Amino acid sequence: MSPQELAEAIIPATADTRRRPPVWRFLKGHPQAAIGAAILIVFALIAILGPWIAPYGPREQVGPIFGTPSNPHPLGLDDAGIDILSLLIHGARITLIVGFTGALVAVLVGGTIGIISGYFGGRLDNLLMRVTDYFLVLPDLVLLIVVASIWGRSLRNIIIIIGLVYWTFMARLIRSQVKVVRERAYVKRAQALGASHLRIILRHVLPQVLPLILAQTVLMVALAIFLETAISFLGLGDPNAPSWGRMIENGFDRSAISYGAWWAIVPPGLAVAIVIMAFNMLGTAAEDALNPRLKVSHLLRRHFRMRPLPDKDAAR
Amino acid sequence: MSALAVEDLHVWFDLPGGRELHAVQGIDLALEPGERLGLVGESGCGKTTAILAMMGLLPPSASVAGRVLLAGGDILAGGDRTMRPHRWTDIAMVFQGAMNAFDPVRTVGDQIAEPLERAGLAAGRAARTRTAELLELVGISGERQDRYPHEFSGGMRQRAAIAMALACEPKVLLADEPTTALDVMVQAQILELLVRLTDELGLAMVLVTHDLPLVSQACTHAAVMYAGRIAETGTTRELHHAPLHPYTRMLFEATPDLRGTDAVRSIPGAPPRLDEPTVGCPFQPRCDRAFGPCATTRPPRRTTEPGHLTHCHLEGGA
Amino acid sequence: MRAGWSYVGRRALFALITILVAISLNFVLFRLAPGDRTSALRCQGCTQEFKAQVRAEFGLDRSVPEQYLVYVKETATGNLGRSFVTQQPVLAELWKPVRNTIPMVLLGTLFAISLGLTLGVVSAWRRGTITDRTSVWSGLLLYSLPTQWLALMLIFYAAGPLGLPTSDIADPYLAYENPGWWPELVDRLQHMVLPAATIGLVLFGEYTLITRSSMLEALGEDYILTARAKGLSNWQIVRRHALRNSLLPIVTLIFLSLGFILGGAILIETVFNYPGIGLQLYESVTERDYPMLQGGFLLLTVSVILMNFLADLLYFRLDPRVTE
Repeated sequence: MSPQELAEAIIPATADTRRRPPVWRFLKGHPQAAIGAAILIVFALIAILGPWIAPYGPREQVGPIFGTPSNPHPLGLDDAGIDILSLLIHGARITLIVGFTGALVAVLVGGTIGIISGYFGGRLDNLLMRVTDYFLVLPDLVLLIVVASIWGRSLRNIIIIIGLVYWTFMARLIRSQVKVVRERAYVKRAQALGASHLRIILRHVLPQVLPLILAQTVLMVALAIFLETAISFLGLGDPNAPSWGRMIENGFDRSAISYGAWWAIVPPGLAVAIVIMAFNMLGTAAEDALNPRLKVSHLLRRHFRMRPLPDKDAAR
Repeated sequence: MSALAVEDLHVWFDLPGGRELHAVQGIDLALEPGERLGLVGESGCGKTTAILAMMGLLPPSASVAGRVLLAGGDILAGGDRTMRPHRWTDIAMVFQGAMNAFDPVRTVGDQIAEPLERAGLAAGRAARTRTAELLELVGISGERQDRYPHEFSGGMRQRAAIAMALACEPKVLLADEPTTALDVMVQAQILELLVRLTDELGLAMVLVTHDLPLVSQACTHAAVMYAGRIAETGTTRELHHAPLHPYTRMLFEATPDLRGTDAVRSIPGAPPRLDEPTVGCPFQPRCDRAFGPCATTRPPRRTTEPGHLTHCHLEGGA
Repeated sequence: MRAGWSYVGRRALFALITILVAISLNFVLFRLAPGDRTSALRCQGCTQEFKAQVRAEFGLDRSVPEQYLVYVKETATGNLGRSFVTQQPVLAELWKPVRNTIPMVLLGTLFAISLGLTLGVVSAWRRGTITDRTSVWSGLLLYSLPTQWLALMLIFYAAGPLGLPTSDIADPYLAYENPGWWPELVDRLQHMVLPAATIGLVLFGEYTLITRSSMLEALGEDYILTARAKGLSNWQIVRRHALRNSLLPIVTLIFLSLGFILGGAILIETVFNYPGIGLQLYESVTERDYPMLQGGFLLLTVSVILMNFLADLLYFRLDPRVTE
């Protein structure tokens, strides 16, 4: 049991210990999440300010093919003589947009199905969960390749595909949460008072499952970015959008390895890794914080301590 | 010599920011073989913490002071190290919510026999025979030892948990709310079983509960805890008919009576925070008989008859 | 004897229905493809007769429901059509690369399972220590690396110093020397090391994190406290109670991921030019070889479904609660 939990269990519950901790308190208590959030803010700024802070354009040839990293080009040049640092800055926007919107599609589709399924239960629940189960076993990457190669190469398609592949996880998770919330007294009371289903869902169910949805969305963005780089790497990315995934693919495709041009591959991959890791740090910390089962461990390496009896007079 | 004696037991928990929570603030208990002591109090009063301390099952954030004597020997002195050899062989426990007290993927019999093997009391066939005996002692057919916990009903699981606690023939049994999760009929059966077993085997039992009628039914003695301290302890009869502490009286008044002669009165207010030192009597803000010294001076320990103790400024009963 | 055979039956039925759904989805997906199949044929030498033959083979001259029935029937009998590129039956064309992929994937997965599970358990046991933090951070890091990029990094920075080949499955000149089975096996293994290591490292991160949190959940259960109260040592508690309970959900995950890994090998095999099922699919994509793509998708989906079914069976053996 964590000291905080004990305190909550033993100190009589007052209004302020019962209230949900705000975001900053969560970040303060979880350095892992705070570091992740900080990294993401930096990258978000880069993505927003991209066109203004990038030294060169994303299609602008400024030097020799695979020019080595040097003074005006700290990360070198790619196979077309384009400044890698500038590409990286321009790519941040595309990569993050794909990640966020892809995750959003998954969350909207999965969340809606999960809430409907969990809230109404019964036959509808059965049917929806069967469908979800079928989708759950489809190998994501392969499905993606098939769909991408049929539908054609565009950012919009990639976003839709990512949503299609990942909504199932979301639906399952939200459903089980909603099922728990549905049984709570205030929901029953609202139902007895004749509140409409939509109202109950929006006012009572959604706020309860929202923290979990947010934590999962964060993890989902990481998956979406991962998937975008994978699709791009297989040559199915949007040819007009220089995402980080496309940069890795380009480096590989144009034999950066044989040229020894590590700078064409290492920076975009590192950028992807850092962003995904930041999302994972934030997401897993939030997930752990929301999982009460992880707080207690009965297996102990250290034990309680013995100490001398307190001074009787001082205690009185 | 007492089967179990607890002397001036304190438990603190570390809190974030270097603060501490004084959960158990010096309690004394003594039980003879065959005695059943009901440890009652509101949730958060430290009763569960106290019996976990007696088993040495507290988390690392806890620190403990005082003595826990089994047949005169202090088992707490060396912390976990001196505690472990006594666990289950001398002092065993029935946990709250037997639902989860059993590992779901091992058979019930396997888990009952586990401490036998650890203590070197029985193994193999002998352990199986002993397990069957134990199950039959609590009214379950011995053949059911090869079943898994999920195949048992709630009441049966609690019976099996009691059988498990008795495996190594301990002298002291601690029971933490053993009947809370069960329905009323089953509650009564489990309680009856515990009473019968303590009588037959001469066990000393501490029954932790917030349910006062349960104590009246099943226990010979009772100890009322409030804010980490013992408010009053004595025989069940004494506490019921001649309470010395207003809290004891108010607890009884807060309990619905089958005869329905008195109106049920709840106790207003909430227990004090235990992470700050209390001045005077911790119950003073809620007490209907508080007077002068209660707010400033800690109540002394007083006794009227042997074994009937209280911490209260009032003289002459509540 | 537990009366749980109805459970097995139901899981088997579920697997069968899922396969049918996958087949149907496959049909729908490829019908959505722009133009008819033959227009996607890019082989210059394809004659009109050949195109007509392909149309007839797929029944493209019939109605949609008819086409669907024909497709299901043909698929059920193992006829997945012919590759546009090689004109060979798809199933046979897929089998060879699958045979190359399986040992490589198994090698990597075994590495990840043995190390990831061990580290996850140790990490949960020693929660909050340096060991725990190191394994959580390294797990998170590995889990966050893009697979294809990790593979490229191994080529850049590990292949040279270790003297390992970075491409293909065997040394093409070795066959001429006819050196016997031992050097050939060594050569094969050497080609397998880097792709397998990539899979291994990626999965290792994931398995470590999952095992750790599963173990932590188990350690918070009441029966662990009971075990402690019974005087069991930490090691006995882990071995007798925590391990089995925490590994139960992981077994399913591992089996499920085994199915996915086969498809996930696409990225790795592309980087290492390793002639497995992944590279085959990649080539089918670039060559717009739809029958191969369709067949590959079906094969991989079925393998996931089968792994899923195996996991269900294993769960049935390991968890006494599974009867209903």
